Amino acid sequence: MQVLSSLKVAFIKWVSRLYPMAKRNLYQFHGGIFPQYHKELSLSHPLKRGIIPKTLVLPLRQHLGIRTEAKVKVGDRVLKNQCIADTEKGLSAPIHAPTSGTVVAIEPRYKPHPSGLKKLSIIIETDGLDESIENVLAVDGAHPDSPVALKEIVHQAGIVGMGGAGFPTFAKLPEKRNTVKALLVNGAECEPFITCDDMLMQTHADEIVKGAQIVGHALGVEQIICGIEDNKQKAIQSFSKACADTEIQVHPVMTVYPMGGQTQLIQELLGIEVPSEHHAIDVGVLMMNVATLRAIYHAVTFGNPLISRFVTISGLGLEEPFNAEALLGTSFLELAEMAKPKQPIDYPLVQGGPLMGTALHHNNVPIIKTTNCVLANPPKPVETVMPCIRCGECMDACPINLLPQQLYWHSRNHEFDQVEKLKVFDCIECGCCSFVCPSHIPLVQYYRHAKSTIKDIRQKEAMAELAQKRHEFKLDRIAREKAEREARIKAKKAAVKQKTAQKPQAKSSAAAAAAAKAAALKAKKPSATTEGQPVLSARDKAIAAAKKRTQKAKPSTGTESKAPSDKQPDARQKAMEAARQRRNQAKTAEDSTDKAAPKDSKSAQAAAKRAAAVAAAKKRAKKTTEKQESNDDT
Amino acid sequence: MIAALIIFLVMAILFGLLQGYASVRFKVEGNPLAEQINQLLPQTQCGQCGFPGCKPYAEALAEGESEVNLCIPGGHKTMIEIAEITHREPKEMAETAPTSQQKLVAKIDESICIGCVHCIKVCPVDAILGATKKMHTVIEQECTGCELCVPVCPVDCVEMVAEPVTLHNWSWPEPSQQTRGRLNRYDSTENAHLLLNKSTKGES
Repeated sequence: MQVLSSLKVAFIKWVSRLYPMAKRNLYQFHGGIFPQYHKELSLSHPLKRGIIPKTLVLPLRQHLGIRTEAKVKVGDRVLKNQCIADTEKGLSAPIHAPTSGTVVAIEPRYKPHPSGLKKLSIIIETDGLDESIENVLAVDGAHPDSPVALKEIVHQAGIVGMGGAGFPTFAKLPEKRNTVKALLVNGAECEPFITCDDMLMQTHADEIVKGAQIVGHALGVEQIICGIEDNKQKAIQSFSKACADTEIQVHPVMTVYPMGGQTQLIQELLGIEVPSEHHAIDVGVLMMNVATLRAIYHAVTFGNPLISRFVTISGLGLEEPFNAEALLGTSFLELAEMAKPKQPIDYPLVQGGPLMGTALHHNNVPIIKTTNCVLANPPKPVETVMPCIRCGECMDACPINLLPQQLYWHSRNHEFDQVEKLKVFDCIECGCCSFVCPSHIPLVQYYRHAKSTIKDIRQKEAMAELAQKRHEFKLDRIAREKAEREARIKAKKAAVKQKTAQKPQAKSSAAAAAAAKAAALKAKKPSATTEGQPVLSARDKAIAAAKKRTQKAKPSTGTESKAPSDKQPDARQKAMEAARQRRNQAKTAEDSTDKAAPKDSKSAQAAAKRAAAVAAAKKRAKKTTEKQESNDDT
Repeated sequence: MIAALIIFLVMAILFGLLQGYASVRFKVEGNPLAEQINQLLPQTQCGQCGFPGCKPYAEALAEGESEVNLCIPGGHKTMIEIAEITHREPKEMAETAPTSQQKLVAKIDESICIGCVHCIKVCPVDAILGATKKMHTVIEQECTGCELCVPVCPVDCVEMVAEPVTLHNWSWPEPSQQTRGRLNRYDSTENAHLLLNKSTKGES
């Protein structure tokens, strides 16, 4: 069997000289491409460390999730490892000061994001002293026994997926032990130019291995496999050495783009395909990047948060490309300048690799937790986009078996429901289809646009639904209020009727008995045979109605309704009414003058606007007094 | 002959009963067409169509009592969709909404607001918060941008402002809108891969 498979490999390798794509039979997943890697560029120069730039820019959101909130103020002195931003509101990762210095500003700054938007950032002016707080996470160095304990440390350390996605690592870890069967260490750095993981594996293999052991120990993982692409022989050697006495298996994998993709590497190492719309954890697999594992090791053993990372500074436009352990917040441009550019960097730098990375709108952006590469490739004239010839190359290259050509047609025609049906959201935007396209169609751009448009449409639909609900609620509310008002008026009318029935009988005491009888008859109460009872009951009702009204309406109406029942002379009543009116008028006049006075004394800038407001207020005040008067009259 | 007649008679009765049962069992409440049209409308409840909200307009359309081109926020696209669903001739839009890319939301200048509650009364989705003689403010997430509150304000303190672009509502530009033939500064990586030498893609 062994012989047969090695024979097959040899045969394919021979055939691939004539037909390069024959190599696609040497690995588990579909498609894939074989670009020129240029990895030697940055590997041929030594690793640079200890670069402390003058200013560090730390965006408050360097991960997937919600933005953190600054815990420091402008002017504060911060020490290395000090937590400077955190939030309790949801999925996020705290941010720590990479070195000692002073916070000089908290303001929006450009962020390495394809949108080129400015986002709120903390700007630290470094003092070069590098004073630090040791063991800021207060750990005892022991390996946590439960996933929850590990999650807590990982969260506090602000660790996010450092392969590029930036998903907070603590959220990725399961809460229960033994839910993860296999922990995969992702050392298959497949994008051209990027060598930061390679360099990390060569120099710090032991730390990565310890990090993997910590995670394995906490989660009760049975199997730990490390997948490294076979073009990183030095990394494989150092890693194998570090894993010699451990249960970790080192598994060299075929060099093909995109081997480093999560689903692709899982398929290659375990032969499991992660179903559409599922995560790796659903099939019992946890994958972590080597840099993430090293950060976990540092957090658990020394209590150090994530404040620096390995970054590749490479590209065809640089004389001396290199890898650096750069502090978060270091400027892209500053690092690129250190690599002796062949020509002035007046072209956009790229964050990430040439296939998945995005060109920047501004070169002076900071390294964040997810930045793995600063790429300086001088612009070259590009070939014009030609019409699709339906060759199907993209379909053969797609690593997740999508139909890029169909996706393209539908995206171009804005048939987004079709695009969604063709599973555009499973697209990992690896760029294989664009790479192989003989017509140079920017296919991935179409999918990205389609994805964001679909999300936009969904958001709009949700908005419309909300608006509809709220509108219907408002209509219901208005109808309810109207019904209530009508009911109130009805009650009032009924009370008035009863009052009028009661009045004549109250006036002449002589005809009291007869009137009472008549009232009793009117009320159709056969039990009302005595003289006092019907009178009392009618009065009670009137009082109850009046009380109800006083509760709902203004207190003035209460006295008004009491007045007739107390049999007060009409003249006195009128006088009281007049007095009340006078008082009200005086009050409102005072109000308006009160309002006017502070407004006039305010700044002269909005004087004109304010004058209009005052005039309107006065008008309004008059209106309300009129209303009040009319209310009082009724 | 008789047998055939009886068979058909029995069948007719059976199917008649079945139909009668179905009409009771699967009775549709309200006009389904109105509901369908209502789904197409943008739900801004702006009343620019002359009806007090999107649903009344949808109902009028379903009854065939209204024109298909009245929904201004929906624009040409909605008009075409309505015409399709109601099997009527598409009509040119009488008025078109200002073609702004971003969604507009109302904003109250709180230093000017006098607390007159006029805007609160007209807001179709109760997105304005405030009370008599108290400052009002707009709940931006719930504002549909219908602009009904703008004309009623006695002190002109309501303004329509575009929502700022954030990372949440930013979206990737469409490739065909971008300039081609040169790698400009604002180009994304759509062509970055071409910086690699494609002729040697067979070598690893």
